[in-house]
Amino acid sequence: MPYLIHILILFCIYAILALGLNLVVGYTGLVSIMHAAFFGVGAYATAILTVDYHANFFLSVFVGMVVAGALAYLTGRILRGLSWDYYVLGTVGVNLILFGIFTNWGSLTRGPLGIPGIPRPVLFGIHFATNGQFLFLCFLVLVAVYFLCRFIVRSSFGRVLKAIRGDEKAIAIFGYHTLHYKLAVFSIAAIFAAVAGSLFASYLTFIAPSSFDVMASAFIFSIVILGGAANLNGSLVGALVLTILPEALRFIGFSEDIAAQMRQLVYGLLLVLLMLYRPQGFIGEYKLG
Amino acid sequence: MGILNQLVMNAIIAGAAYAILALGFNVIFGITKFLNMAYGAVAVVGAYGVFLFCRLNSLPLWLGIPLAIIAAGIVSYLSDVLVFRKLRRRKATSLVHVVASLGLMFLLQAAIAIFFTSQYQSLADQNSPASVYAVAGTFITSVQIITVITALAVLFGLTLVLKKSAFGRAIRAISDDEEVSKIIGINTDRIISITFFLGGAIAGLAGILVGFDIGIFPTMGLIFLLEAAIASIIGGIGNVYGGVLGAFLLAFAENFGVWKINTVWKPSVGIGLLVLFLIFRPQGILRGVSKK
Repeated sequence: MPYLIHILILFCIYAILALGLNLVVGYTGLVSIMHAAFFGVGAYATAILTVDYHANFFLSVFVGMVVAGALAYLTGRILRGLSWDYYVLGTVGVNLILFGIFTNWGSLTRGPLGIPGIPRPVLFGIHFATNGQFLFLCFLVLVAVYFLCRFIVRSSFGRVLKAIRGDEKAIAIFGYHTLHYKLAVFSIAAIFAAVAGSLFASYLTFIAPSSFDVMASAFIFSIVILGGAANLNGSLVGALVLTILPEALRFIGFSEDIAAQMRQLVYGLLLVLLMLYRPQGFIGEYKLG
Repeated sequence: MGILNQLVMNAIIAGAAYAILALGFNVIFGITKFLNMAYGAVAVVGAYGVFLFCRLNSLPLWLGIPLAIIAAGIVSYLSDVLVFRKLRRRKATSLVHVVASLGLMFLLQAAIAIFFTSQYQSLADQNSPASVYAVAGTFITSVQIITVITALAVLFGLTLVLKKSAFGRAIRAISDDEEVSKIIGINTDRIISITFFLGGAIAGLAGILVGFDIGIFPTMGLIFLLEAAIASIIGGIGNVYGGVLGAFLLAFAENFGVWKINTVWKPSVGIGLLVLFLIFRPQGILRGVSKK
């Protein structure tokens, strides 16, 4: 049972990440491989504020959201006007820079050793100390993010996003300032990722830069692609499959290190096979090409 | 003065390695026009090939290195035959190509880590330390000298192949227009696959040289990919000479950029340079091939 709760908490965190990224990748058609960097911003905001400054968890979440949103806005502005494959490379680059900051700004992030002793959240006297209580919190956040995303994609704002994906020039001619829409959705996704990062830091009580590198971003990206671009339920399915898969590999009897590599091998294989035979993912609506 | 000389020397050495990476990257990009994320992982295959042949199985270097280069070429060739050729036939968008190549990168990197562990390994022979030479008040190892010479050799060899041979003409024809090339009777699939072999072999060669210089680990492919892509883009992507220029510009920017600060920020300098170019001169120093 404790094991199941652990899996479910991880699922919630990955699902929040994937839902946000799906708004960017699936609905708007911007390929971003830097989501783990925003995830890391949230995680570090919580770690630094709660450990070094004894701030409340929810205050740290808010700070993480603001910083991640601002960073996303800035990144989007810098990378605007890049054709999409250069855009991919640009996002990878920004992820590397942020990873460099997590790793090398020792006085703030304690470098590669990471930050231990992150407390569990307390809200109105409720202490989310046990994993069961923490799962409840994660689940609440996931539900909120899911319905927010659903609201966004069904709103007129969401329709403009899909139009940008379809033909950005055409929708621009109709008078929509597409850059604003792209910056907005990119920032929203980053804010969701920061929330997931705060939960992640508080759940594990320890974070290190290696959780927020380019490979982690590529992993979140593959959840979205696997589940299906432009389908919110697809992101849930993708997160579920990719959370259970490594555990299944461990059950087969691979050692921890080999299991981690096997997992990556399977992700890679799944991505290749999907691109070859099913580019819309498990249950996606939007075919990549 | 000594520091300045050493910085210039380091930049030339790094630039030579980047140039080889960029040459292979540009050969493939010129003909396929998509960002091949698996390219760096192919370079790592070359480095681990030498590790397998020469360190684990004690083959002599003169045999092991060519075998490893061929192995990298074959992996690259197979990536085209098994994956990209099928995507091309389906006329998949370049987004699909990039995502598939991302998957291949995962696959290769993980496979290497499973076979050889994810630990850092040394390629150079531990028993005979590399010879160090003093040139103009700077230090340079034999591996680094070989890297610079190899970069020149690859550049001239590739120029010769592209400009003078029928194969090179076919490559240029396909870069220009794949459909028309097919109509006039060029076996485009075969030429593209051979180009993948060629580019992969060049990547493997670069991986081997860097591996001898600094050692090997499975995830170094991402760094190779970025170096190759940044050098190619700032030089003019798809343009063979542009890539070489870009490689040296990148190396000089990196080495002088971290002169007064910690060298851990080296990749950030490269990425900053890339972003500057993408914003102000997206076509690169020399105009690259037009994108589809």
